[in-house]
Amino acid sequence: MTTIALSRSASRTPSSNRVLATFRLHFVNYETVVVLPWLIMAFIFFVNWMIWWMITRSLTSATDLADAREGFGWSGAMFFIFVYMMVVAVQAVNLTFPLAQGYGVTRRDFYLGTSLAFVMLAVAFSLVLTVLAFVEEATDGWGVGGSMFTLNYFGGDVWYERLWMFLVVFLFFFFIGAATAAIYVRWHTKGMYAFFAVLGLLVIGSAAVATLTRSWPAVGDWFVATGVEGLVLWSLVPTAASAVFGWLILRRATPRE
Amino acid sequence: MNTVIEVAGLSKRFGGFTAIDDVSIAIEENSITGLLGRNGAGKTTMMQLLTGQEFRSSGSIRVFGEDPVENSGVLARTCFVKESQKYPDDYKPVHVFRSAPWFFPNWDAGFAERLVADFRLPLTRRIKKLSRGQLSAIGVIVGLASRAPLTFFDEPYLGLDAVARQTFYDRLLEDYAEHPRTVVLSTHLIDEVSDLLEHVVVIDEGRIVIDGSAEELRDSASTVAGARTAVDAFVAGRRVLHREELGGLASVTVGRLDAADRKAASAAGLELAGVSLQQLVIRTTTTDTSEGRRSA
Amino acid sequence: MDESRPIFLQIAERIENDILGGALAEEGQVPSTNEFASFYRINPATAGKGVNLLVDDGILYKKRGIGMFVSEGSRERLVAKRREQFSQEFVRPLLAEAVKLGISPAQLITMIQKEGS
Repeated sequence: MTTIALSRSASRTPSSNRVLATFRLHFVNYETVVVLPWLIMAFIFFVNWMIWWMITRSLTSATDLADAREGFGWSGAMFFIFVYMMVVAVQAVNLTFPLAQGYGVTRRDFYLGTSLAFVMLAVAFSLVLTVLAFVEEATDGWGVGGSMFTLNYFGGDVWYERLWMFLVVFLFFFFIGAATAAIYVRWHTKGMYAFFAVLGLLVIGSAAVATLTRSWPAVGDWFVATGVEGLVLWSLVPTAASAVFGWLILRRATPRE
Repeated sequence: MNTVIEVAGLSKRFGGFTAIDDVSIAIEENSITGLLGRNGAGKTTMMQLLTGQEFRSSGSIRVFGEDPVENSGVLARTCFVKESQKYPDDYKPVHVFRSAPWFFPNWDAGFAERLVADFRLPLTRRIKKLSRGQLSAIGVIVGLASRAPLTFFDEPYLGLDAVARQTFYDRLLEDYAEHPRTVVLSTHLIDEVSDLLEHVVVIDEGRIVIDGSAEELRDSASTVAGARTAVDAFVAGRRVLHREELGGLASVTVGRLDAADRKAASAAGLELAGVSLQQLVIRTTTTDTSEGRRSA
Repeated sequence: MDESRPIFLQIAERIENDILGGALAEEGQVPSTNEFASFYRINPATAGKGVNLLVDDGILYKKRGIGMFVSEGSRERLVAKRREQFSQEFVRPLLAEAVKLGISPAQLITMIQKEGS
């Protein structure tokens, strides 16, 4: 082998290669990101199924049965996967970012590659959930009137509406998680305290304003009028804001201990 | 000879603390440079600035002729092995060696394999469960197998036992001889690496106190020992770096002695000895001035 | 490697010693710079400098594409060179030490003859 001369150095690796490499980096240990959440979902599903089975078995009157089925529709079991993905996003920024820095990836390439990974995961998982919802309907609640994927929250009757809602919610959790982690990476514990302090103040402040101006009924009306689909659509705003702020925060982040 | 790194008037302040103070150095292509200094002197900060991981306060940095900050062209040719590298949860060494090639165009998988065997690294054990030495071994292997034209090793030997350290130096030398690259190595264990270094840079409290070739440095100081009066007579008027006395004997470290000086010293019945790089670095970076004179 | 002299000089000396002692034969091949560097655990550039010193002195020569070889007649040349240095490097220190211990030159000669036989 000969000398590595400066002039004929290794290819000026184009940025795009490193964006893709970062994308792949998030899936190197895919068990945690792809396999584990679904294993846990399967477990949760199984437990829920047992509960649905026991309940519907023990009820005899038709009205009771209908009530129970209605109740199932408000289960929060499925939210697990969204929260898990938020944790994945937090870890992606908290831990994969230092590794990417160690590999000499620019912050820009890292953010692009990571956002790409988030979008792909959101699309893939949304498809899976949509399929599961479809199966749930087709089997009349998995044979026991259960409801895990066709919740009342995500009313959509048309499959692509459901898919869209899942997608938007996934993106929300991903980018909120990423942005929050970016705050920690950039400003560490102090930054986190400051962030939550400000957030807390905003929430309490808004609640105080609403109380003083007696506008709670109006708030309630707005929620009802907007409906679940509307809220999901509105969530795109904080999602986009997180994506932008996450980038602005991360681009000056340094590996200080 | 090409210059790979050119730094001019570089400073870095963290709030009120100046970590790097008006530093200007140049590092030649295909050489091994030692970046030496005490804890907290600024070695790690220096390397972080050179790889764009930290943002400078003032001055200029040119790596491969360009500013390294957010510069994927430059960073693709660089590898920075930190002793404090964090890895994602649940990562195992096998994950690191699977992903590293995507970021280092010159990666040599065969070399990496041989190194894993040399360092006896358990590939499928969780990184969280590895010993400090095994964790360091990962960094060392990535640094060596990357064949990055510019490779930084920041105190890579933490936790490595003497055998592993020797393995690292040996593999580094072998590979460097066959595939030359620019290596910058920071370390406390100066004597262990002094024979490997061509260029020596010593940082103390953010400032450069020594910047020269290892050979020049060897030449730059000598120890003169013997009867105190004779020693005093000989060193009068010379730059004294260090003095030790024991009864009627004295051992004084002075600046450069040429051939004539050496003859004069021998004639006066004095013993001459060299000064190890480690001793030289210690003498020039000890901030406690009372160290200048010590009596028993 | 000792501290007081440049490493490349020490390398050159070791190679000279090997030639003088017969470990490296004339017209025989000498290990490559990289091999020296590995063996003595020093920087290849330094090893190279030591080797080049000997090339400049005519002790070693390079065969393109093959490697470094010991020049013919180098042993003789080295012997001559070392003889010149012998007085300075060995005899003078010997005398200085003898003076310290109060050994006269005549006593010294007797010692040498005794050891020599």
